[in-house]
Amino acid sequence: MANSIGAVSRRFFETIRVNGGIRGCCWKLLRGEDLRIGTLIGEDRYGNRYYQNNNYFVARHRWVEYRKDRYWDFDASLVPPEWHRWLHLMTDEPPTTAPLIDRKFIWKEHEENLSGTKRQYVPSTTTRPKIEEWIPPKQS
Amino acid sequence: MLTSNPRYFAGIIFGVVWYFEFATNIAQARQLRNFHGSPAVASEQLVVHKDTPENNPNTPFEFSQENMKRVKDIIAIYPIGHEAAAVIPVLDLAQRQEGWVSLTAMNKVAEILQMPKMRVYEVATFYTMFNREPVGKYHVQICTTTPCMLRGSDGIKDTLIRKLGIKVGETTKDKLFTLSEVECLGACVNAPMVQINDFYYEDLEVKDMDEILDDLKAGKKPKPGPRNGRFASEPLGGLTSLTRTPKPPEFGVRDDL
Amino acid sequence: MFRLSASRVWQLSHKLTAPLGARANSGTSPAPEKIEVFVDDQPVYVDPGTTVLQACAQVGIEIPRFCYHDRLSVAGNCRMCLVEVEKSVKPVAACAMPVMKGWRIKPNSEMSRKAREGVMEFLLMNHPLDCPICDQGGECDLQDQSMAFGSDRSRFVDNQFTGKRAVQDKNVGPLIKTIMTRCIHCTRCIRFASEIAGVDDLGTTGRGGSMEVGTYIEKMFASELSGNIIDLCPVGALTSKPYAFTSRPWETRKTESVDILDASASSNIVVSTRGGEVMRILPRLHEDINEEWISDKTRFAYDGLKRQRLTVPMVKSEEGNLVPSDWQEALQKVAIQLNTVDGSEIAAIAGGLADAEALVSLKDFLNRLGSETLCTEEVFPMDASGTDLRSNYLLNTSISGVEEADLVLLVGTNPRFEAPLFNARLRKNWIHNDLEVAMVGSKVDLTFDYEHLGDSVDILQELASGKHPFSQKLSSAKRPMVVVGSGALQREDGAAIHSALTSISQKLRAGSDSSDWKVLNVLHRVASQVAALDLGYQAGVDAIRANPPKVLYLLGADEGTITREDLPADCFIVYQGHHGDAGAIMRMSVLPGAAYTEKDATYINTEGRAQQTKLAVSPPGYAREDWKIIRALSEVSGQTLPYDDIRDLMHRLTQVSPNLTRYGEVEEANFFAQAHSLAQLVKTKFSKDPLTPKQTTLKDFYMTDSISRASRTMAKCIQAVSKK
Repeated sequence: MANSIGAVSRRFFETIRVNGGIRGCCWKLLRGEDLRIGTLIGEDRYGNRYYQNNNYFVARHRWVEYRKDRYWDFDASLVPPEWHRWLHLMTDEPPTTAPLIDRKFIWKEHEENLSGTKRQYVPSTTTRPKIEEWIPPKQS
Repeated sequence: MLTSNPRYFAGIIFGVVWYFEFATNIAQARQLRNFHGSPAVASEQLVVHKDTPENNPNTPFEFSQENMKRVKDIIAIYPIGHEAAAVIPVLDLAQRQEGWVSLTAMNKVAEILQMPKMRVYEVATFYTMFNREPVGKYHVQICTTTPCMLRGSDGIKDTLIRKLGIKVGETTKDKLFTLSEVECLGACVNAPMVQINDFYYEDLEVKDMDEILDDLKAGKKPKPGPRNGRFASEPLGGLTSLTRTPKPPEFGVRDDL
Repeated sequence: MFRLSASRVWQLSHKLTAPLGARANSGTSPAPEKIEVFVDDQPVYVDPGTTVLQACAQVGIEIPRFCYHDRLSVAGNCRMCLVEVEKSVKPVAACAMPVMKGWRIKPNSEMSRKAREGVMEFLLMNHPLDCPICDQGGECDLQDQSMAFGSDRSRFVDNQFTGKRAVQDKNVGPLIKTIMTRCIHCTRCIRFASEIAGVDDLGTTGRGGSMEVGTYIEKMFASELSGNIIDLCPVGALTSKPYAFTSRPWETRKTESVDILDASASSNIVVSTRGGEVMRILPRLHEDINEEWISDKTRFAYDGLKRQRLTVPMVKSEEGNLVPSDWQEALQKVAIQLNTVDGSEIAAIAGGLADAEALVSLKDFLNRLGSETLCTEEVFPMDASGTDLRSNYLLNTSISGVEEADLVLLVGTNPRFEAPLFNARLRKNWIHNDLEVAMVGSKVDLTFDYEHLGDSVDILQELASGKHPFSQKLSSAKRPMVVVGSGALQREDGAAIHSALTSISQKLRAGSDSSDWKVLNVLHRVASQVAALDLGYQAGVDAIRANPPKVLYLLGADEGTITREDLPADCFIVYQGHHGDAGAIMRMSVLPGAAYTEKDATYINTEGRAQQTKLAVSPPGYAREDWKIIRALSEVSGQTLPYDDIRDLMHRLTQVSPNLTRYGEVEEANFFAQAHSLAQLVKTKFSKDPLTPKQTTLKDFYMTDSISRASRTMAKCIQAVSKK
């Protein structure tokens, strides 16, 4: 019993330590929902970091910590495609060891999904307005 | 992709061709009844006006002085306020003057009779004997309705087409003949027959038709009526009835009456 | 004209042989006995001469028909109305057959049903199966009746289409689209053209299987009532060109409203809308105004409601340009101007499309500010009793009253284009009752014959004094009408004309056979005039010319009666209205109002009948109902008007003049004698100019107000008419 209490408390302090102390834990809990211990597999060029820990059950054993400069404004579309395939278990080879084959249709610069933001894409209207306004003539 | 397969594509094309080439024929052969039974006839005139160089709103038309007098006489037959009743005779007069009724002639008739132009157009298009397009000097109308057809009007028609060098509904280049195919003209007893302008030429054979056309071309006036020698529609071999003087009215009546 | 002139001659000869006219007779002879017939063994008593179809209608049985129409002559050529009558070997055509005593009509018998089925089969045989692309789909008589009375199976086996009858489409102008292959030869359009519209342009050409309905030569169906043949057509042969392929009847929301473009008559209409857009306008039955017709302007000018609209308030920028603004800024700017000048230096002009609600609130508001200068754009002589007596400016006989008249004297008006439906009534009466029409003014085509007395004003004086040869006829008339166009009264000698007509009418009134028969009629050309005069607006802008204001409020005044030159340079002009027409250009401030399809508003037509338009679509953008704008402005300028909603405002209208809210009723006017004695005081002299109405040809008919001027369809019409 005492043994297991010891193990748990060891794990607890280990977790806090790995995640950057009290301060780091608070930061991570504000952005995410739990604290995990894992191996850093790599970091993409935008600053997202990718971890793995096979002790967790499958589908939770790989995760991403989004780039810090986005604070709370992040979503899954920040993950570039080469990491996406690793993160979603399409492959076991992370792009650090097996880089993506360079194809001409793959975009060089990853873009996140802009829907719902001011920069979202809006198609131009093809219907005529129902009401045509009067435009006052310009004087001089 | 299925359609990108060339073999599949060829199959589609073959199918379409087959459908149009064969399937339609089979379907037509199976058809039981054709509801619309009046095929387009080449000699039939359009019932809407199309401007042509010889027939347009600027075609000159004026009744001659003599005809104008006749028009007045015709109108005088009808009661005041019913001048419009004179539209058929007046249109006929216009046709006799010009050979055909132009748009301006119809407008003139409407003006004289004080009726809307449209009402004149209605009458002129209803009656097929009004020619709304120019016709040749001799308007040859061949009857091809059943009795005439049975008596050989097809041969007559072929003769006309061959000799005049025109098809039905056309006019010869020298503006001498117009050929039209018409329905029954009411001379079935003397079938086959043609009407040339106002005259009936009846009991025709191919050589008669040749003769008539030659005469007309030569400027002669062939004798109208039956060509086989009989009078009007009497039997060819002389009368078979009414050969004796008829009995008087009192024949066979009781003496005491 | 073919049939009509004949019928007219018959009437004339009838009149000659029988000195007592039909009207005089009907009063004295006993009512004809009713005869008894049985419809489905149900006894019904009908007048002699009633047709089988009408007898069946009396017991509520509707017999299917295509060619028969209540308001047109009977043609009897579609054969759809065949019904069995007992002891008759063949079915009879119900629309044309008068009933005989004791007939037993069996509209639902086996024979009747088979007859309909057979007719329907023949009709469909040569009718294209193009309902999915046909604009009539959903409101097609042929569609409906083939569902109700047609056979449930087809004997048509010609699936390869070796030949359905095909007919060339006719081009009859920019309003009516023709797909003549769909035509079933009911000839309704032809009968309408020759009987109601009086333009014999349509007819049948050819015969038998190749018969076609059309114009023979390619020409426009040039009538001001031409759109009605679209409604009359029981199939999709005649459809609306501007409406083509835009919406289906079941998609649209229908709002029963009143038209104001048709000048004075205020025809009743149905506004079809879809998705906040007016799709089309159809007539609504009103026996006393428009029967079931409407003019082309009413029907087709709706696309003007979507163009040149004012959708945001505008104020003048420092550069002198009108720039879009918001309500707060615009109202404040106007309020500041209104508050800085003296009340007597404020004036208002109401245009031809203003509604009674806006008129009364503007008047209340300006009165509170101390201004009394509220004018209408339309001129009316203010001399003598002027607009004080209602009888001076109404169409007193009423539009349906025309049918009782036996003589009409038109003065300086062209009713055909100023009030097409009034003219249709005249024509109806001219055909059926041998109405006599005389005209003082320019010679115009009214679609019927009339006696042209000349276009000089002096003729009126001669008529008044009884020296003119026509006076004899005039004074012998039992029910005469004098109709003067508002255009004639807008001349400089308008007062003299009005006075002369008042005395003529007063004389004729004495000679009429009914003590309450009214003779004098004024035919107005704009929809707002009667309401404005009822509310106490001054007619004409002379007061403004004489005393130029500092602030001028234009309530939809677009005709340009007051120009910038008439006003001092520092005059602040506010324009409130719905269209950026000629009127809105010079203004300092523009307040966007609502058009007649976008508000519940009261209009009084020329006969004094109050009617209400209904909101069919909401006003576009920031535009608001006119009275609300004035109410808001009054609050901003500190003179809050005491009505907060339409009900309060109606109460106010009722206070001012109760007739304004008695919807649907004609408020009659009287005091003719007083008006006559006051009219003697008029000193104005007749001028030498001939009496010429503004609208003389069809070309002048299409564009008369800011809505129709913005309409593309109307522009196309003018183009088409001018080309002809």
